[in-house]
Amino acid sequence: MKPSSLTQSMSWLHTWGGLIFGWLLFAIFLTGTLAVFDKEIDVWMQPEAPVSHVDQAQAAEHAISYLQRHHGAESAWDISLPTARSPVLSVSTGERRRNAPRQYLDPNTGEPIDIRETAGGRFFFLFHFTLHMPRNIGIWLVGLAAVGMLVALFSSLIIHKKFFKEFFTFRPNKGQRSWLDAHNATGVLVLPFHLMITYTGLVIFSLIYMPAAVDALFDGDREAAFGPGQPAKTEQQAAQGARNGRSQNEGRGEGSGELVALTPLQPLLLQAEQALGEVRSVSISHPGRSDARIEMRPVLGNRIELSKGLSMTFAGVSGEVLKMPEQSRWAQLTQRVLSGLHFAQFGGYPMRWLYFICGMASCAMIATGLVLFTVKRRRRPEAEGPIAAQLYHLAERLNISVIAGLSIACAAYLWGNRLLPAELSQRGAWEVRVFFACWALSLLHACCRERTQAWREQLVCAAALCVCMPLLSLATMTRPWAEPIRAYLELSTVACGALFAFAAWRIGQKKPAPAPRRQSRNVSQELLNAD
Amino acid sequence: MKPSRSFSWATVSRIIAALFGGYLYTYAFTAAIAQMLPLEPRDALVVATLPAFVIYPLTILWAFACPRPRMVWASAGLALPLLLIGFWPQFLRAVA
Repeated sequence: MKPSSLTQSMSWLHTWGGLIFGWLLFAIFLTGTLAVFDKEIDVWMQPEAPVSHVDQAQAAEHAISYLQRHHGAESAWDISLPTARSPVLSVSTGERRRNAPRQYLDPNTGEPIDIRETAGGRFFFLFHFTLHMPRNIGIWLVGLAAVGMLVALFSSLIIHKKFFKEFFTFRPNKGQRSWLDAHNATGVLVLPFHLMITYTGLVIFSLIYMPAAVDALFDGDREAAFGPGQPAKTEQQAAQGARNGRSQNEGRGEGSGELVALTPLQPLLLQAEQALGEVRSVSISHPGRSDARIEMRPVLGNRIELSKGLSMTFAGVSGEVLKMPEQSRWAQLTQRVLSGLHFAQFGGYPMRWLYFICGMASCAMIATGLVLFTVKRRRRPEAEGPIAAQLYHLAERLNISVIAGLSIACAAYLWGNRLLPAELSQRGAWEVRVFFACWALSLLHACCRERTQAWREQLVCAAALCVCMPLLSLATMTRPWAEPIRAYLELSTVACGALFAFAAWRIGQKKPAPAPRRQSRNVSQELLNAD
Repeated sequence: MKPSRSFSWATVSRIIAALFGGYLYTYAFTAAIAQMLPLEPRDALVVATLPAFVIYPLTILWAFACPRPRMVWASAGLALPLLLIGFWPQFLRAVA
C-alpha cells in the first residue's frame, strides 16, 4: 500500500477490510436477521405443538395440576408459559437449568404431548454470535468482524463525501456501475441501522471485549463490579430478608409432612404482568410446603431495556409480594437499553419486521460489496500477476458459497427438520449437521462449476427449497397451517424464494452480454480505465 | 481508485499496528477514563467502556490514514502514559 491521499488510503482499507470480513459479516448478518423471528421459527419447527386458545392463567393451572399429580415430591417446579409469540407450554422439575429435560403439555387440556426434538430458531441466534465454535473463540471472531464493519462504515463516510447525491443515483443494467450504486444505496439508506446494530452488538459483550475498566477499577474482578450490594436494592433486601426469615420459621413450625395448597396463580400473574410485562416462566420452590415461593420472570426484553435476570417473587401460600423487580442504575440502564436495541424484543411485530427488513438491507449491502469486488477485477484478471488472479478466483468461489450457499444451508436446515425421522436421537444436532453439510456441498459445487453457472444453479436451488416449503409441509403433516404463525413463515420463505428465482433469472439473462463487451474492451481500453 | 498495490512490509506493519496497537491504545484510554471519571466505580465502568467501541475503529482508521508508518507506532506509544493513569492505584501498590 502506497497511499498518496486520505481518500485513497481509506478506499484501500474499505476494499480489503470489507473483503476479508465481508464473508464472515454476511453470515453473521443473515443468521442474525433470521434470528429476529427465532420464536416463530421454533413454532414452525415444532409442528406437533397444538394451537392454544387458553390464557396464561388457565395454562398455568393445567401445568400445576400435572406437576402435582406426577412430581408432587420434587423440591422445585418450573413452568414455561405460552406467550403471544410461542404457544408452547412446558414444565421441568428440580434445579432450574438451561438444558433441563422438559415435558411439553397441551395448554388446552394439560395432557402431556410429544414434540419433536429440534435445534430450532435458537440455532440461528447462537450461530450469529458464536459461529458454532467453542464459545469464546466465536465471540471474539464476531467482535473482530463487528469492528471491521465499523471501520468499513467509517471509511466509507470519508470516501463518499457526496453520498447524499449518490443515494439518488441508480443506474440499472450497467454492470459494475449498477453493483456500485446498489452497494451505495443499501449502505446509505439504512446507514443508521448498520451503525446502531453493529455498535450495540459490541456493547452486549462489552466487558469481554474491553475489560480495561474492570481491570483498572476492580482489579479484573467482575463479581465485584456486578455482584452483591447494589445500593438501590439493599433497603428492599433488608425488609425482604426479615420477612423471609419469618416465613421460613413458620414453614418449619408446621412440619413438612402435610401438603399446603398453593395460592391461585391468576391474581399473581396479573400483578407480575403489571410490574414486568408479559410473563414467560413461573418457578415454584418447595411446592406443598408453607414456605413455598413463586418466582415469575418476564419474556426476555419486552421493553427496550434488556431485562435479563429480572424477576418478581411471591409467597406461595399467601400470595404476598416478597420481592419487586430491581430497578437498574442509570449507567447500567444505558447499557441494557443499548443491548435491548440490538435484541429487538420490544415494539411487537411491526418492529420485528422493521429490523428484519433493515437486516436484509445490511445483508444486501455486504453481498453487493463482495460481488462488486470481483466484478471490478474480472475485467483484467491477469493484470496484477498470477497470485492476485488466484486470489480473485478464490474470492469468486467464496462469494458464491457464502451468499448463495448459506441461503441454501438455512433453507435446508428447515427441510431437515421436516424430513429427519422424528425418533432420531440427538435430532437437533442432526439438523445442525444438515446445515453445515449443505454449506460445505455448496462450496464444493462452487469450486467445480463455471462461475456464472455455479451462481445460477445455487440460486435456483435456494429458490426451489424456499418456494417448495409449503409443499413439504403439506406432504409431511396432516394440518400444516392450523397455527397461523407457520403459514406466515412459509409465505415469507416463498417470498424469499421468489427473490432468489429473480436473481437466478437475471444471471441467466445477462449471459450473452459479456461477448460484445470483450470486443469493445480491446478497441477502447482507455475508455474503460477511465471509470 | 487502484486496487491492491504490491505487497509490502509497510502494509503489514500498519495492519499489526492497527489491530494490536489500536487495541492497546483503546484499552489504555478506557482504563484512564474509568479512573478519572468522578463517578461511582460501577457507573464509571459503563461510561468509560461504551465509547471504546468507537475509539478502536477510529484508531484503526488512523493507522491507515497516517502518512508515515513510523508515526503510527509512535502514536500507539501514547498508550503508556494512559496506562499509567488508568492503573495508578495498582502501580502505587506495586511500588510500595
